[in-house]
Amino acid sequence: MVNISLIVNEKLFEVSVSENLRLIDLLRDELGLIGTKEGCGEGECGACTVIMDGETVNSCLVMAFQANGSNILTIEGMEKEGKIHPIQQAYIDVGAVQCGFCIPGMVLSTKALLDKKPHPSKDEIREGISGNLCRCTGYNKMIYAAEKAIEYMEEGK
Amino acid sequence: MKKIGKGIGLSYYGTGYGNGFPDVSRAIIKLLPAGRIGIYCGVTEVGQGAKTSMRQIGAEVLDIDIENIDLVHEDTSLMPDSGTAAATRQTYNTGNAIKIACENMKKELLEKAKIELNLNSTSGLTLEKGEVILSFFPQKRISYKKLSEIYYNDVIIEAKGEFTAQTTEMDKETGQGAPYWPYTFNACAVEVEVDTETGIVNILKSTFAQDAGRAVNPMLLEGQMDGGFAMGLGYTLFEDLNLDKGIMKNNRFSKYLIPTAMDMVDINNIIVEDPEPTAPYGAKGIGEPVTIPIAPAILNAIYDAVGVRIKELPVTPEKLIKHLRGCKENR
Repeated sequence: MVNISLIVNEKLFEVSVSENLRLIDLLRDELGLIGTKEGCGEGECGACTVIMDGETVNSCLVMAFQANGSNILTIEGMEKEGKIHPIQQAYIDVGAVQCGFCIPGMVLSTKALLDKKPHPSKDEIREGISGNLCRCTGYNKMIYAAEKAIEYMEEGK
Repeated sequence: MKKIGKGIGLSYYGTGYGNGFPDVSRAIIKLLPAGRIGIYCGVTEVGQGAKTSMRQIGAEVLDIDIENIDLVHEDTSLMPDSGTAAATRQTYNTGNAIKIACENMKKELLEKAKIELNLNSTSGLTLEKGEVILSFFPQKRISYKKLSEIYYNDVIIEAKGEFTAQTTEMDKETGQGAPYWPYTFNACAVEVEVDTETGIVNILKSTFAQDAGRAVNPMLLEGQMDGGFAMGLGYTLFEDLNLDKGIMKNNRFSKYLIPTAMDMVDINNIIVEDPEPTAPYGAKGIGEPVTIPIAPAILNAIYDAVGVRIKELPVTPEKLIKHLRGCKENR
């Protein structure tokens, strides 16, 4: 067992974890943050995407102890003062959600992109979410959602 | 060298179980506290939007805001069976069952309103924005909320509806007949770029037209069209289970490739509305048909670009290169 401390969604956690525990298991099973989904478990589908120190990671490929000292954002941390994030609102408004399984990862990849580049081109948005697989939507409404989210954030919605 | 080609694919698709197989959907409607309407129906939501579009159909019949309709559809002990979310049948079949059930519910609401308003008959009573109103003397009115206060104890206002699709069995001897009703139609056009050095096919643009009878929810419908296009694209260019003696060799996403956002293009989606008389407000299902014309459209575009007819999917770069070289040798 290893003692680690990390910030998840602006809250400090000090936990003792087994050396072979993955970050996704820490988030889901120990911290109860089940918004993060496990898809393939081998870093191909992006369903388990979280933002770690500003970068998207596949939480199935990061060991929990590697997250020691890091700052993590999961889908649960997107909500502020009872209000969902403009990216989430945009996903709803343009109809970008079908079965929903990829959405937490997709939203976080979009956020990481917009944090770094507030006005990406359409191709840059496509590239930004290309690590997240979706079988339902054909992605196009997710691209429109990202564009709509940029509008919302500028309007301060 | 990069070569450009254009192609189209057309399809028509028989929705429902078809071939005389019993295809039944059922629904129960109840007036709930606070005048809410409950639709109890075993329609399965798998992301296609049943939960939204089925409530829209109920809202249309009962003239009530969709926010005031609860669809209860996940607990089989509470609702009748409505068949599978398969065969592109829910919008047509279950939509019809819900429409019929809501029309029966309308009769129940009028009957109870007649009693509460001390009227001689239900003639002239209409539903308007969650109220029963006597059309020529609108002061005579009672809201669903008021009715629910009176009728949510011993007696509940409820109604049932059932719809069985009409299909006929094909002749076993001749294989002739009309096994499906209704059909949906679509057409897809694509422009591709084929790299003759690498064998890589890129989709440049697409226009995709889908007949929906009537679009219950155009936004969800476009989402299904985009999704169907992406599936068709993956099927045509990438996806290969690579079965070897029944064992799936490509059993993970690192080997079984599906399209990413970078493989997709913006699609000019066209929704064609030609209402089907037997359908709820004319609406037919489009779930499966939206994947079908994509492969022929892409294959025709490849043929147009490089003159090669590929008859085995997926068109991987290696396969296309092999065909391109074969072509040269034959000449």
